[in-house]
Amino acid sequence: MDYALQQLLNALAFGAEYSLVALGLAVVFSIMGLVNFAHGEIIGVSAYSVFLAAALGLTSPVVAVLLAVAAAALAAVAFERVAFRPVRYAPTTTGLLTAFGVSIVVQNLFMLLISPKPQSVSILNGLNQMWFVGPFAVSSLQVMELIVSGLTILALVLFLNRSTLGLAIRAASRDFATVRLMGIKANRVIATAFAISGALAGIAAVFIIARRGSVSPDLGFSLVLKAFVACVIGGFGSLAGAAAGGMLLGFIEVGLLVALPQEYGGFKDALTYAIIVALLVYRPEGLLGQRVELGDKEI
Amino acid sequence: MARSDVAQAIENTAPSAAVAQPGSAMMRSLVGGLVTALPVLAIGLAILNFAPTYYTYLALGAFVNLIVVVGLQVFMGNSNIANLGHSAFVGLGAYGVAILSTPLAMKKLSIPNAPFGFATLQLDPVSSALIALMVVGIVAAVSGKVISRLSGVAATIVSLALLIIVHSVFLNWTDLFKGNQAFFGIPKVVGLPWMLVFSVVVIVAARLFKDSRWGLQLRASAQSPQAAAALGIDARRLRLMSWVLSALICGLAGVLYAYFAGTISPKLFYFQMIFNTLAMLILGGMATVTGAVTGVIVLSVGLEFIRSIESGVTIGAIQLPQLLGLSGVALGVVIVLCMAFRPSGISGRHELDELLSRFFRRNAK
Repeated sequence: MDYALQQLLNALAFGAEYSLVALGLAVVFSIMGLVNFAHGEIIGVSAYSVFLAAALGLTSPVVAVLLAVAAAALAAVAFERVAFRPVRYAPTTTGLLTAFGVSIVVQNLFMLLISPKPQSVSILNGLNQMWFVGPFAVSSLQVMELIVSGLTILALVLFLNRSTLGLAIRAASRDFATVRLMGIKANRVIATAFAISGALAGIAAVFIIARRGSVSPDLGFSLVLKAFVACVIGGFGSLAGAAAGGMLLGFIEVGLLVALPQEYGGFKDALTYAIIVALLVYRPEGLLGQRVELGDKEI
Repeated sequence: MARSDVAQAIENTAPSAAVAQPGSAMMRSLVGGLVTALPVLAIGLAILNFAPTYYTYLALGAFVNLIVVVGLQVFMGNSNIANLGHSAFVGLGAYGVAILSTPLAMKKLSIPNAPFGFATLQLDPVSSALIALMVVGIVAAVSGKVISRLSGVAATIVSLALLIIVHSVFLNWTDLFKGNQAFFGIPKVVGLPWMLVFSVVVIVAARLFKDSRWGLQLRASAQSPQAAAALGIDARRLRLMSWVLSALICGLAGVLYAYFAGTISPKLFYFQMIFNTLAMLILGGMATVTGAVTGVIVLSVGLEFIRSIESGVTIGAIQLPQLLGLSGVALGVVIVLCMAFRPSGISGRHELDELLSRFFRRNAK
């Protein structure tokens, strides 16, 4: 029983992290059709700024968390301004390849300017403790991950539904031209979307640093690959789909970890991706995506 | 102004009397392919005759990249879907021949516990290559079935997933693939002459596919899915076809790599190769085979130069430190700048022979 609960919590925590990152990708994709491969490097910028601040003598974990989120949001907005604005009206493939290029540049800059080797960051290790709830021992990090992700998603939903700018973002995902006709600046909508996407990545970065206790140049890359897969299963561009896809991915991974014998543990990633590709054979448009026929007009 | 592919496809599909003879059109693209391959042939022959051994070795690596990039162009250039998984096929080709053709004495050292009797099997290089390519073809056909059904973005992500699956199998199936360690002892049977022959063959094949009925229809459906579907073009079947052809060319590159290097390891066929080859194709221009060739030539030279700086140079009395990551930054910057300022790459929409014939026609007037 204890073991089952522990694994359930594991799956939920993994799923929450994937959902956060996948939501960041989906927010940007839904309004400007950009497949942001550089999202992992936003997580990287956030993690490295905590590393640098700690190296310069920052000791307060609270400040470190705020710094991580702020740095990620700023990095996302800066990426948009520098690299993605010139290709805003270009076809999807152009945007995707640009983002891929940005990702390579930033990853290699970490290598060039800091070090190719992982660097230790211990400032957030305090978040990762064992809590004893009655007879159970649970990891504080996992519980916090779950709660914080839940609250963040709730805040995002409230923002998108209640505020003018949030409404504009949702409307922009349907028809950007009309949003601009209503007198809302395109640059503001896009910058806000990137800031949200960055802040979500920053929250994920906090948990990653707390869990690993170190930063490395490719820290966000594999996580973002998984988040992309989560987006694809959920239906690309759908926010609910991204969150659901992230959760599903968490459950598949932990399920495989439990089911696979120790010596086959290395095949976990291969099998996870294989299961997802198999899912796509039956639903190419994703679980929550809608089947779009050629020439359909959205109403 | 170039005619749009859709208009061309309409003309080609419509049963009109004005359609050119298929034979002469094929002849023209065959000649065009050979013209495109000429610079490659010239560079190859020059290196073969004049260059020292070290440069020959570098050139062999560049030719492998050339074949990979041409293979990538076959899918990406015609279907306009980004493919980020092609190095999986390069790896499959290389490991295929490694497992089949390595001498038994070497296998006792490297993979004594290989399943299915591979530990006691040794084939000659040619049949190993054919079987390896068959395996690549089967994997490509199965993955292509999924990828051709998806929309552009999802297809790209699945191509990435394929890369991760294949890489993870290489790493973890240690009995067969030796895991993270280098697989050594593959017979070194390919030198520069063979590499040149295959490069020319692959360039011509890519050009023939691009100019063929299927290539034209696929390009048309990438440009306007609705118009193409209205003409009765089955885009899925064409995407599958170009995916398999592209994978086979990449697989061939892997086979050749294994046969000239003699030693391979999984990390060779992972993201680094994707970065390099993708940057080459984008810089040269992915719409044409000429673009693929141009990109490889320019970036191979450029990257070699950057690598020499990266490992630390001495200028006068000052010893510069090692600058790890510099070549990566350069590759990324090339991609980003290209996409922002010249998305069609150096060569644009026209093949080399088309540019040449235009040039001469203008001068004749």
